[in-house]
Amino acid sequence: MNRYLKLVHMEIHRFRYILASLMAVTMVCQFSSFILTIKRAIAFKAKNGMDYDDIGLPDILTFPWVILKTKEWFILPILLSVTVLVLYTILIWYRDWFGRSTFIYRLLMLPSKRWMLYVSKLTAIIMFVFSMIAFQLVLLVGENMIFKAMVPAELRADSTFVEAISMNDALKILLPKQFEQFIYYYGLGIIAVMVIFTAVLLERSFRRVGVLYAIAYFAGCVVLAVYPVSFLRMDEYWYPNEIYGMQLGVCLLVAVISGCLGCWLLRKKITV
Amino acid sequence: MIEVVDLHKRYRGRKVLNGISFTAEKGQITCLIGINGAGKSTILKSIMGLTPPKSGTIRIEGNPVGPAMYEKVAFVPDHPTVRMGMKLSDGMQFMNDFYQNWNEARAKELLDFFKLDRSERVGNLSKGTTAKYSLLLGLSQDTDYILMDEPFSGIDMFSREIIAEVFSSDLIEARGVLLTTHEIDDMEHLIDKAILLQNGTVQLAFDCEEMRTTEGKSVIDVMREVYMG
Repeated sequence: MNRYLKLVHMEIHRFRYILASLMAVTMVCQFSSFILTIKRAIAFKAKNGMDYDDIGLPDILTFPWVILKTKEWFILPILLSVTVLVLYTILIWYRDWFGRSTFIYRLLMLPSKRWMLYVSKLTAIIMFVFSMIAFQLVLLVGENMIFKAMVPAELRADSTFVEAISMNDALKILLPKQFEQFIYYYGLGIIAVMVIFTAVLLERSFRRVGVLYAIAYFAGCVVLAVYPVSFLRMDEYWYPNEIYGMQLGVCLLVAVISGCLGCWLLRKKITV
Repeated sequence: MIEVVDLHKRYRGRKVLNGISFTAEKGQITCLIGINGAGKSTILKSIMGLTPPKSGTIRIEGNPVGPAMYEKVAFVPDHPTVRMGMKLSDGMQFMNDFYQNWNEARAKELLDFFKLDRSERVGNLSKGTTAKYSLLLGLSQDTDYILMDEPFSGIDMFSREIIAEVFSSDLIEARGVLLTTHEIDDMEHLIDKAILLQNGTVQLAFDCEEMRTTEGKSVIDVMREVYMG
């Protein structure tokens, strides 16, 4: 357990600059667009009279309205972060193999079970994702404070964070209203990471043939995971709750197979 | 004892190891000798569980390869195994964090002996200095066995002398050493047992001292006979 925590710490430490950069880019994009939008709205109102309103500018400004007006600048850094994290899901393994140093030698020679490597890298990815989510929440709080500080009381109305989040499609997916949805989205995300990990380990174990195995495995998992919702739904033979049960079962099966296969490859087949 | 029995391995359709069997005893320096591509490094990697053999058995003190083995056997490959961005002190701290057998006092002694700067980054080291640092990481583990892959390859004369000095010190004496080389000159007077490899098989395994006294042949003489016909 102690070694597992040390491995997780090491993985987080290795990604710290990239994570900090993503946070900085997200903050700069969101804060700057947010402040500029408010400034423009207030300047427009000052020029045209405080009770001026048109289609693009309401009589009373609200926090969700500013979020709506700046949604592209919210979505872009989120997309950038998602892309970087998906790429890093692959790179987190390959960076140990390539370069002048072959750190994978050391990792595979650690006197601990090799599944710890798999689980520690998975934990690190999950922690990066939740760090970004937590940071987004902190940014929303900060943006709300900026909104209140910049907009005079007579020009603004209070609103909830839920209303603000519902104005942006990306935020709606990242921060779902229902806990159940949160579990589905992030559960599927974790399973996807496990499938990618196992595909990478297939390639690392069998090299050239492994590329084919990895592609076949990834494609197989995707087909298996989407089959119940995509195909069985068209078939009126099944009740929705039965399809839901099958979907859940298939996802859990993919997770278990990916985890077990990944750890087995690390134990028995991996080659440096 | 490290026991390798009937080891087979294929790589890209070629039989790299074709029924390799030998033993390496504790307290002895055993040397795997062969030209490039003879399968020397593959044998060491197989023993360390870094590449799976197609078939065959590897036992260390009668036990199969597993996580507990890494506290008993250290491996010094011909390249650094810690990250390039790490300072030498970070690499030592990493070893201290993960290995119970890490001997910090010895690591500090070796750091002074090799005249290494602990604040230097691994990525900035020359080949000779990297070899010394890799040796430091291997020797600072209190293991029964140490495996070394080409410890003298591409290293300047002075670094070779320093590393050779380590081989005749008490850092090595009590352990079983299994090393590979294709340049025997520097090693000949140090090794106890030589295993000559060719085409993935053991051509000859012999006790060096016995060969010298009974047949009056050096390791190089025997190599000439085996490899040159």
